[in-house]
Amino acid sequence: MVSGRTVKLVAIGVIVAGTLVAESKKEYHFTVGPKAGVSVMNPYGSISVKPSLNNTVVVNAVLHSDKVEVDNNQNGNRVDIQSHLLAGADAESGRVDYEVWVPADASVTLHSSTGTLRAEKLHGDVSLEGAGAEVDVRDVSDAHVHVKTMNGAVNLDNIKNGHVEVDSLSGEVTMRSVNGPLVQVVSTSGRINYIGDFGNSGEYRLSTHSGDIEATIPEWTSADVSARTTRGEVHDDIPLQPKNHTWFAVDKGRAFAGTMGKVAVSSTVVLRSFSGKIHLRKRPENK
Amino acid sequence: MTCVELHQSLAEQEDVGSWEQRTHLRECPACSTLVRELNLIVAAAGQLQEADEPSPRVWNSIEAALRQEGLIRPQRPFVSSFGARWGAARWLVPAAAMLLLALGIYMRRESQADHAAQQALVTSMGNQVASQSDLNDDELMQEVAENEPAMKTQYAENLRQVNESIRDAQGLVNESPNDADARRSLMDAYHQKSMLFEMAMDRPLP
Repeated sequence: MVSGRTVKLVAIGVIVAGTLVAESKKEYHFTVGPKAGVSVMNPYGSISVKPSLNNTVVVNAVLHSDKVEVDNNQNGNRVDIQSHLLAGADAESGRVDYEVWVPADASVTLHSSTGTLRAEKLHGDVSLEGAGAEVDVRDVSDAHVHVKTMNGAVNLDNIKNGHVEVDSLSGEVTMRSVNGPLVQVVSTSGRINYIGDFGNSGEYRLSTHSGDIEATIPEWTSADVSARTTRGEVHDDIPLQPKNHTWFAVDKGRAFAGTMGKVAVSSTVVLRSFSGKIHLRKRPENK
Repeated sequence: MTCVELHQSLAEQEDVGSWEQRTHLRECPACSTLVRELNLIVAAAGQLQEADEPSPRVWNSIEAALRQEGLIRPQRPFVSSFGARWGAARWLVPAAAMLLLALGIYMRRESQADHAAQQALVTSMGNQVASQSDLNDDELMQEVAENEPAMKTQYAENLRQVNESIRDAQGLVNESPNDADARRSLMDAYHQKSMLFEMAMDRPLP
């Protein structure tokens, strides 16, 4: 007589086997020149991009069912990868997870509605977009970094000399050691965290309608800072040299403006929230 | 010729004159609809270029053309192709973009105008945009509910928040038309709304 436990094990085995059969892996290789363009459009699933050791683009794709295909195309110095949903595909069966290696100087465009988008150790332009996608970009230098999400969290870490633009409706945006000529975050209700030193001579504009903004900076930062909220409140842990003239009224508790550090190399920092709190924090020296 | 190859060929040439293209279009309703809509966009763009700001007549003419093409229907039955499913809503992104553009043009022009004129124009512009936006919101949410019900709540909440931000920013501009922050907030809010539509439109369909 077959025990209940055996039946369960067989059933689990069948399910696992079915999953393994449905899941398949594909690998693609492309040879490209300097400053190649690589685009991955993936309706459902994650995309992770890392630098390759040479002038090749390598794409590893894990397809979660036979209801999705991977279309690939190389046109000169441009490589386009696209998940092609077939009839009946949904968020689960249409899922593809990508690992992509590109030359570090390649420009990368990633798109996924639901998966995590990751890019690291690149110095070509990076553009990442997805409604519910979480975004994680780290160790990128001398590049444009453009991010668009609806509610996915955005984490930017160690972006040097970047032209950074983040648009997020409600996702939390966290930046650590991000600097460059332009760092701009626009959000409707998401919280914005900045931990860094605002570089030098850049423009930093962090704006959210109802979310909070928190900037944690070392005391030696050089910046021309203005913070303003309409219905929220502002807190400033760092003494600023007040400015003689500001073009808006500096209402106590609702706005502050001033300079810190060396004026000659100072960045312009604009913090705006309609109803959220704005807090300029001093970073402890031991960090 | 596959759908991908057709899309690539569209990017390289203006018309669809080759035998392969015509054959594919006869067999693929989705691509056929796409090409028809692209032609419509080209035709409508000619109209829009003639004016600095889109007037209600432009929107009306686009709407009339869409209705003639059968791309807007009062009640859409179950359909399968991308173009048909998104027939009306496909216009939300360019419409939102045009509203944003118009607002931008207005902001730039009016930065040196007198206070009273600014106040009147801001209010007028805001009302015009708001009324069109409200109509589009319903349609967008209907499409999201039909095609991606799991995301409906998230889209609805984000739409509510972005509309609230537009109202708040509009109120600030009305109060202080010379406040650059307020004007920028309004621009940002419309930009966020435009982005929300864009994301809804970008969602892939089988």
